[in-house]
Amino acid sequence: MDPVTLAIHATPAFIASAVEFVEATTIVLAVGVTRGWRAPLIGTVAATLTLAVVIATLGVALVTIVPEHLLKGVVGALLLLFGLRWLRKAVLRFAGIVAIHDEELIYQRELAELRVQGLQRTEFDWIGFLIAYKAVLLEGTEVAFIVIAFGAAGGVALSAATVGAIAAGLFVVALGIALKQPLTMVPENWLKFGVGAMLCSFGVFWFAEALGMEWPGDALSIPLIVLAFLASSWLAVRMLRALLPQGARVEARNV
Amino acid sequence: MFRTIWSTLVGLLIEDGQLAIGALLALAITWAIAFSGGDQGRDVSGWVLLVMVLVLVVANLYRAGVTARARVSSAQR
Repeated sequence: MDPVTLAIHATPAFIASAVEFVEATTIVLAVGVTRGWRAPLIGTVAATLTLAVVIATLGVALVTIVPEHLLKGVVGALLLLFGLRWLRKAVLRFAGIVAIHDEELIYQRELAELRVQGLQRTEFDWIGFLIAYKAVLLEGTEVAFIVIAFGAAGGVALSAATVGAIAAGLFVVALGIALKQPLTMVPENWLKFGVGAMLCSFGVFWFAEALGMEWPGDALSIPLIVLAFLASSWLAVRMLRALLPQGARVEARNV
Repeated sequence: MFRTIWSTLVGLLIEDGQLAIGALLALAITWAIAFSGGDQGRDVSGWVLLVMVLVLVVANLYRAGVTARARVSSAQR
């Protein structure tokens, strides 16, 4: 696999997956710190295996059975829809309308909830197992979607996206183990902003390719499309900041 | 897993419904241009989609800003 293909397909999957892994790691850390590490680690491994089966069956089946142009069209449309949602939320957060995602707050809330549940441990801590399993499975499902979406171009792209997601998982988990505290220094909203723009860009690129369009420079036009999304989103952030008084917060569902 | 898919779908179609409908409309227009405009239509379809989506993002967020401002002003009164 040449480096350009690897960079194009692995980097977006790496960044997008890292965001999800940060959320899962925060919850597993909270469980491990309050209830011991054995059960949450087994829960994490169990969820990882479940996800591996989902990606292997669904992803490979999609890429090998469904015709490429149809897959690109459907995945392109889905990427655009999901990407727009991420981008919109990130812009609203940057503009100060919606509260920034706070890993420290989530961690403390999780710790408090676990302490309320008490430490009545049986031989195996099923509560710790289930919380870790659920967190890793839920966030991991999004990683699976990311891998399948970024890998929709074919076998090579799927491998590169898988490599990107695995690398992100290893990186975030290593960081979590080293720090033993929530990864608050990860600029999550910046990542979501970038990932939203990338998902939208891949969506536009693939949907048009599925219709038979040939982009100038092929995949090299993707960075230009990403730039266009980033520029218009930044414009939107500035516009929203000008529209609203500072410190004004509104629930996302109300705007 | 099903809860994630469900909450994503609800979020997409209800919370961000107007954005999703706008995006689907843009996709449908792009498809129509590509299939009715021959080679020329196909060659510009991607750019048309890009411009429509960029305008959609800015317009949707502008509307969100106006709505938020109205809610903040009514809460302050």
